[in-house]
Amino acid sequence: MELEDILYRHFGYHSFRPGQKEVIEQIVVGRDVIALLPTGMGKSLCYQLPGYVFNGTVLIVSPLLSLMQDQVTQMKQFGEKRVVALNSFLTFQQKQYALNYLHQYRFIFISPEMLLQKQVYERLNEVNLSLVVVDEAHCISQWGFDFRPDYLRIGELFHGVNRPPILALSATATNKVLGDIQNYLKMDEPFHYIHSVDRKNIHLSRRQFQRQEDKVDWIIEHVLETEGPGIIYTQSRTKAENISNRLIQVGVQAASYHAGKESVDRQFIQQQFIEGSIQWIVATNAFGMGVHKSDVRQVIHHSLPSNIANYMQEIGRAGRDGKDSLAILLYEDGDENFAKMLATDDLPTDHHIALYENYRFKNENPFIMFQNGEISETAFRVLDYWMNEQPTDEVQRLLHKMRIEKMQAVDEMMEIVQTKDCMRNVLVHYFGQQLTERPNNCCECCGIIVKEIIEPRKLHEISTKPDSWKDRIQSILIGRKNK
Amino acid sequence: MIFQTLVLNLLATFNGERTVSAVYHLLRGKRSGQTIQDVGIFGLHSYFGILPKLQRRQFDEQINNLSNQHYISILPENRYRITETGYSFLKQSMKLSFDGWHYRGNEHIFFARLSLIVQTLSYLSDGNMKFIPIQQNDDIQLWVKSYLKTQQYQNGHLQQKLLNEIVASLEKVKNEEREKSIVIKRLSGVNQPGFTWQQISIHEKLTEMDVQLLYISCIHHWLNEITFSEENYPLLSKIAERVRIEMTLTESANQTAQLFKKGYSIDEISMIRNLKTSTIEDHIVELAMNDRKFPIVKFLTEEETNSVLRTIDDYQTKKLKVLHEVLPNLSYFQLRLVLARGDSNSWN
Repeated sequence: MELEDILYRHFGYHSFRPGQKEVIEQIVVGRDVIALLPTGMGKSLCYQLPGYVFNGTVLIVSPLLSLMQDQVTQMKQFGEKRVVALNSFLTFQQKQYALNYLHQYRFIFISPEMLLQKQVYERLNEVNLSLVVVDEAHCISQWGFDFRPDYLRIGELFHGVNRPPILALSATATNKVLGDIQNYLKMDEPFHYIHSVDRKNIHLSRRQFQRQEDKVDWIIEHVLETEGPGIIYTQSRTKAENISNRLIQVGVQAASYHAGKESVDRQFIQQQFIEGSIQWIVATNAFGMGVHKSDVRQVIHHSLPSNIANYMQEIGRAGRDGKDSLAILLYEDGDENFAKMLATDDLPTDHHIALYENYRFKNENPFIMFQNGEISETAFRVLDYWMNEQPTDEVQRLLHKMRIEKMQAVDEMMEIVQTKDCMRNVLVHYFGQQLTERPNNCCECCGIIVKEIIEPRKLHEISTKPDSWKDRIQSILIGRKNK
Repeated sequence: MIFQTLVLNLLATFNGERTVSAVYHLLRGKRSGQTIQDVGIFGLHSYFGILPKLQRRQFDEQINNLSNQHYISILPENRYRITETGYSFLKQSMKLSFDGWHYRGNEHIFFARLSLIVQTLSYLSDGNMKFIPIQQNDDIQLWVKSYLKTQQYQNGHLQQKLLNEIVASLEKVKNEEREKSIVIKRLSGVNQPGFTWQQISIHEKLTEMDVQLLYISCIHHWLNEITFSEENYPLLSKIAERVRIEMTLTESANQTAQLFKKGYSIDEISMIRNLKTSTIEDHIVELAMNDRKFPIVKFLTEEETNSVLRTIDDYQTKKLKVLHEVLPNLSYFQLRLVLARGDSNSWN
């Protein structure tokens, strides 16, 4: 049967979107594949469709639990009953049930933590797996923006001659990250499908300032004159608070968003942003993952991102609807020093290594150092992984190297700030791709007229009379009263 | 302002006989012998554990504020004295009341359940079951899942019934309308996001801390209305299940209590449980504090009790050391028992 027939029969589409067929063709003949597809380009079809070609099971490893849950719900709604998600949401009974009937599922979603549990792994070994999918595969690389040591072990679980083919999926990865994915997953001459990272509808602007306060003043002025919705990225919670407060004071519907907010508040902000009652979000890089808003018109960087991949990821939240959008990078002399400090802040130091050694020497669990607040959680995850893999002096060498490379990543980011040639060109080159054509208003270097991209600010009506508590709870539970 | 008034009131209640930290531990609901005893001695049940996540930094900030405004003066060793200005400020008393002793932060469990139930029902009304749950905590999610199943949420009547219960119960609550609005603003549904603490605080022109205190007070009273009239609110009282703490003893004190009720003496209990007598005495004090009918006559005569109460009044103190100096024939344990009773309203 043709792939198009299967596509129509199971998914109701007549044709593939760019990249899907190329990827699927390789998978069904049993080849390893690395596919870089932007979010919203139908990544999941690349492994769902082969599920109907193979006799065996498709295993999907994904670190994003809520997205995993969404996906399973969606597949069930489309009539696929043989799908299960193995993650920490399951009760003990549910988990045991799923494990007992594991061989009957066509699709098994699993979190990396769960995959490493002996009982789960041994059960999986008895199942006839046709394909192993590693979603968000950049998490395997220390150079990706979201390193997860658990991911490194996936490659150790699936190797040998009889292992099923592996499909590694990601939305953004540099050549270095691609190399890591290939190595750590022990992939066998994988087929690469790399979608162009260039987003033509995102226009790249930048501005230089003399003083930090000038940046904020400029942001206030700019936000008062131009139309959102928009995201302002900054590097600390305090700054996010300050900028958002200043915006609120001048009457802009804004809110701050960072890891210091309680989780319910963060969700309220996301919902209000999506629904439109908040126009601007001032965020640390905690904001992004899993936020689907297609009409973000502007992304402003109040501070320098620590590498180009992060920058790309963050400006990529603009213009998902394909309409013109603006990314503005603000820079002040010396910003790179601060960015370097932040970028290396989460790396374990020599001091941490010595502490770790010491605990190990005393026959104590080094985890104590995290509990004692002697090291951050991320740093401990990284350190703990390497200390179990390599001798101490090798870990030391490795971490030094990482530190230097993280600093170099900031210098690479500085190229975007400094280039006189073309910002877009630097960006695309960084991902190892070639720039084929430049859009109008390409970037600050090529010439950019903001008015042609972004509309002037419209005043948003705020309903002045809030509902009484009785009206509010009524309209939440039952719906709006007809007035 | 509300937080400030609250802290100043508590400092005044302690009457300078504790360090400023005593107020901090009380608000956080620290389960140590000292804090629990203070609750009894000074009759502070309603404030126990109303802010379990209060950070030392936030608290110290408030203490500095009070000192900068000359409401209190800070003395060496973390002690303090309320100034004349402080006392005149206190004349406008605390209007806000709590029931910390019976909830101790558990009110957040109630509200987390309720907010996920309301969100789910809202999406169900809209015929759309795809949403990101407002509560990410696994326990809450599982609890709500099984609650909705037993209530047969899919037949479509639950929304109206729950609405009726919410409106009826909240109407009975004596808090102001503003406070009820704050509580309901923390709920969300289809196209109706909730409001963040920051947003409510801007709207109400209060600090975020003050907004949260209003919210906690309102939920405490709401929960009391729900649990005391269970039969009127079958849906809500189920959601409030095991939120109110009836058993306010620590586990260990409870074991001691069982033996004590069987008639064993302190020494016998100490032998049986293999614990120091001083520990058992702590438990007995805790017991006396929790149970208004506790027979303290087993440990000292009525005459002795009265002499302690008189001394407290004469010397205007609840410091054990002072009381012991005046009444050397009574043990510290006996003195603590009288203090723990906390049933004499004339004290405050």
